[in-house]
Amino acid sequence: MTESTVKPVPPVAAPPVVVARGLTKTYDTGDSQVHALSGVDVEFHRGAFTAIMGPSGSGKSTLMHCLAGLDVPTSGTVHLGRTEITGLRDAELTLLRRDRIGFIFQSFNLLPMLTAEQNIMLPSQIARRGVDKQRFDHIVDVVGLRDRLSHLPAKLSGGQQQRVAVARALLNAPEVVYADEPTGNLDSRSGAEILRFLGDSARDLHQTIVMVTHDPVAASYADRVVFLRDGRLVDEVTDPTAELVSARLLKLEEA
Amino acid sequence: MLRTTLAGLRLHKSRYVTTVLAILLGVMFVSGTMVFADTLSASYEKSVMGSATSVDTIAVPSQPEPGGGEAPEEPTPFTGGQIDDVRALPEVSEAGGLLEDEAVLLDADGRAVGFIPPAAIALDGVGRFSADEGSLPSNGDEIALATSTADQTGFTVGDTVTVLDAEEEKRDFTVTGLVEFGVDPSYSRSGAVVFDPDTVREMTGVTVYSEINALAAEGHTPQEATDAVAGALGAGAEVRTGEEYGLAMAESLGGQTEMMRVALLLFAFIAMFVAGIVIYNTFAILIAQRQRELALLRCMGAKRGQVFRSVLAESVVVGLVASALGVLAGIGIGTAGSAFGGPLMGTGDAVSVVITPLAVVVGLAVGTVVTVFSALIPATRATRVAPLAALRTSATAAGLEKGTGWIRVVSGLLAFAVSAGLVALALVADLGETGLVVVTAAALIAFVGVVVLGPLLVRGIVRLVGVPLRKVGVPSMLAVDNSTRSPRRAATAMIALTVGATLITGYSVVSASTETTMTNMLEEQFPVDYQVSPQLTRGEPESEEAGEPQEASAEGSEGAENTEGAEGAGGPADGAEGATEGTGGDPAEQEGGADEAPETPAMPTVPAEVVAALESQPELGQVIGQRSATVETDNDWMAFVYTYPGAEIGVDLTSDVVEGDLADMGPGRAVMAEGHLDGVGVGDTAALPSENGEDLSLEVVAVVEEMQMLSGVTVAEEDFAKAFPEVDGNEMLFVRAAEGADPAEVRDAVYTAVEDHPTMQVGSAAEMKNQFSQILDIAFYTIAAMLGLAIIIAVFGISNTMALSVLERTRESALLRALGLARGQLRRMLSVEAVLLCLIGAGIGVVLGVVFGWAAGASVLPDMIFTVPVGQIAVFIAVAVLAGLLASVLPGRRAAGTSITGALASE
Repeated sequence: MTESTVKPVPPVAAPPVVVARGLTKTYDTGDSQVHALSGVDVEFHRGAFTAIMGPSGSGKSTLMHCLAGLDVPTSGTVHLGRTEITGLRDAELTLLRRDRIGFIFQSFNLLPMLTAEQNIMLPSQIARRGVDKQRFDHIVDVVGLRDRLSHLPAKLSGGQQQRVAVARALLNAPEVVYADEPTGNLDSRSGAEILRFLGDSARDLHQTIVMVTHDPVAASYADRVVFLRDGRLVDEVTDPTAELVSARLLKLEEA
Repeated sequence: MLRTTLAGLRLHKSRYVTTVLAILLGVMFVSGTMVFADTLSASYEKSVMGSATSVDTIAVPSQPEPGGGEAPEEPTPFTGGQIDDVRALPEVSEAGGLLEDEAVLLDADGRAVGFIPPAAIALDGVGRFSADEGSLPSNGDEIALATSTADQTGFTVGDTVTVLDAEEEKRDFTVTGLVEFGVDPSYSRSGAVVFDPDTVREMTGVTVYSEINALAAEGHTPQEATDAVAGALGAGAEVRTGEEYGLAMAESLGGQTEMMRVALLLFAFIAMFVAGIVIYNTFAILIAQRQRELALLRCMGAKRGQVFRSVLAESVVVGLVASALGVLAGIGIGTAGSAFGGPLMGTGDAVSVVITPLAVVVGLAVGTVVTVFSALIPATRATRVAPLAALRTSATAAGLEKGTGWIRVVSGLLAFAVSAGLVALALVADLGETGLVVVTAAALIAFVGVVVLGPLLVRGIVRLVGVPLRKVGVPSMLAVDNSTRSPRRAATAMIALTVGATLITGYSVVSASTETTMTNMLEEQFPVDYQVSPQLTRGEPESEEAGEPQEASAEGSEGAENTEGAEGAGGPADGAEGATEGTGGDPAEQEGGADEAPETPAMPTVPAEVVAALESQPELGQVIGQRSATVETDNDWMAFVYTYPGAEIGVDLTSDVVEGDLADMGPGRAVMAEGHLDGVGVGDTAALPSENGEDLSLEVVAVVEEMQMLSGVTVAEEDFAKAFPEVDGNEMLFVRAAEGADPAEVRDAVYTAVEDHPTMQVGSAAEMKNQFSQILDIAFYTIAAMLGLAIIIAVFGISNTMALSVLERTRESALLRALGLARGQLRRMLSVEAVLLCLIGAGIGVVLGVVFGWAAGASVLPDMIFTVPVGQIAVFIAVAVLAGLLASVLPGRRAAGTSITGALASE
């Protein structure tokens, strides 16, 4: 955190890690159609910490689900690295998620019968992949879980549970980590802690992070904020502050 | 409140599907049994009544009252004159008599049919039987067969059959008809052939009538005719109207149906018990899952009582609907059962299905009551939900039960200790029949122990088998952890399976042990390959089983002291021996006959030509005879004396020796079964009075165990011949094959030797063993099939538990999928969990079954050779694995099919 004042070299030179082109998602609700996404073009670069913002129903979560291969868009393409994930079958998507993507969810999503350590190691075990011991130690120390590793989730506070989830997402150095309202269920102190971890890992570990949030304060920890309204990308801010994000959001709501 | 309940039920229909199925199956069993038994007894009744009501009056000779120690006398049959008397009555239009004796019928191979010859009957005038197919014989060349006899021999109308007359001369007849005697016990047991009256007199020499049937004359009621006949026949006849006779017979046969009904209902009870466990678990889980819903109700002001009633109302609705479906299914099963099973039970024509209101009401009541009763505890638990629980957000911790109280552990172990004590008591104290009750009680107590310790057992066993499983892969690792998340829930699901597993394994152990013990006994004490004995005669009622009454009757008619009858001392032991020998007939009975030689026809013996023919066959190594006689000792004691020409006692025929040495046997010496002669032991002299007045004085050289091969007093052939010169025939022959002879040739040799003597019964040790194990196998498969339903219900329970757990873990499953667990892996995780549960349930059941099967067997048969039917148990374990896989199919599909984003978004 000593380096937090030093801005990294903008990673424009490298090719983007995630590229979405012309994404649309339409839900049939019987008699009418709901356009959750209507033509979104967006890209995310390596080591960038991006926040996706927008009012309720703007399509934030749908966008993230489509980017992460959890949901299939109606049209358009999503590339992760050189892989086009929009054409993949379920089994291939499963492998892709397992090996190349990390997830952090709003309500912790830890398995209650596994200890903190087992939860962190779970994706590696599912993939039958060895764990980089050094990286494991480093991440555990960074998130401050060293003395909580053998605890079951029920014995951990909300902030601690979310830190376990963060450690789990970061352990395998996935190409991109998707975080869905990671601070939604936390008090502001724990929330700030989590967000700082995310920011640090983007900078120090060159971890690409995409975070969906509706909280301007949370968004202000990111390098870049993209705004969504009615399924369209409508605005973008780099090096945001909470005030700036709030102002943009208000403007969006009024428009 | 009721509206909320019903709305909830409609919303969560799918959660109750397996519960409804469990209740349905149980109720189906109950109602099906009732319908089947009712239909069966109706058709019995119809078949009996049908033949009885075809005449107005039926008279049979009355049974003389057995008075005091006097032996009962044979009823005196009617004479031709009595029939003429009946015919002469103005109230009677027509009357006829039933001539009845026996005749030896030869099968297609020329051997006599049955151990006892079939009845030979003829209707002289009107009678209550008619031909169901073809017609009754009208001349001396025709014959009709009972349908049971026709089924047994394969003869049909038009075939030519051979019957032996009283002099054993063969005579051929053409089958003209088949008579369905239905369940009439006099003819269903050994079959019957029907002749015309003159032929039956020629063939058997019978002249008297065993039954008189009459039709009422015009203008007289059957009752008037019956009264008139009763007056004409006097005290020696029991006269009833056809209807009364039929009702009485139907009633006596009804006992059989009732026994079957009780047996089937016992299995239905087990099925309902298991269903009860399943229902309890379902409601318990549903209540746990609906905590927030219930808390919300409480928040909004619902009283505890209202919550309680709402849960109970739910159970009433579920129970009623499931029971109604079950009753319908039961009626279907009962109908099918009567259609297919009825003919097997000899009911003859199928009658229409009888559905009594009782069958419907009992089915509905049992299902509903069991359901409501099983929901009581969960409903009580529902009332304890605090209103505040509605405000709690995370339910993550709710699933994890921790800690097993020491009270649980102590009471569980106590139950096991008490159970072990009872088993030890039953085995040590030699309680006989009571021992079985004690063992059953011990088993129930041990079962309670399993229930109490269930959660702990599940956790312990999972920890143990989890060690290798965890290494297999993530799905099995997660499965191991999942299965211990709520040990109580898992334990209840598993225990439902344990019930059936225990019963099946227990029975299979008893069955296998009995078979080994019996086979062993046959091999050790009956070391021969074939046994040849004469066909027994039908006239003697004791040919079935009772050795003792015959003994008494023999004594009584000899005019000896009255006390003799009661003293039929050796009777029970010998009777039992006869029974285990199967075809051997009854030694006691044979002695009775031999003893009475002057008055009654001699006991049939094996003709000397047969002995000679057998001895001349090179394939046969040894032919041993058995002769016996009964004598009275000084102190009013009956002694049975045996000799075995051609056998070396202790080598060829043997028993377990209590004292002495069988090798010392020789002329002037005797071997005695333990306790046969009072106060005589090894080295003592046994004095036996003999026929010719010269007492036999024999030195007892060995005392052997009772109820084995050598019973009574065994003496040397010379001594026997001296004492009983008139007993010169063998009542039975034991034949041993020559060393290394081909079994097929040995069989041919035996049958060749008896070719000219069709009434000789040939028994083979191998066939006996086969028959015996066949009977045991049939019994085992029947019982296993009956218990199968309880197992199916238990599997439904496990499937239901899994499905509800999956529902609870929807978000978890979605998370796992998001983290990269493939659909197949998710399904495998659930399969492993279900198989684990099934295996633990079956495993505990197998252990309990083996232990208590052994205890039950050993308490009844002290010398039982304990045998674990490894094959059957292996099959059973395989079935458990398969059941687990099946149980996880639907929950697995559901878990794998849920959309990840939807599940993650839902709260």
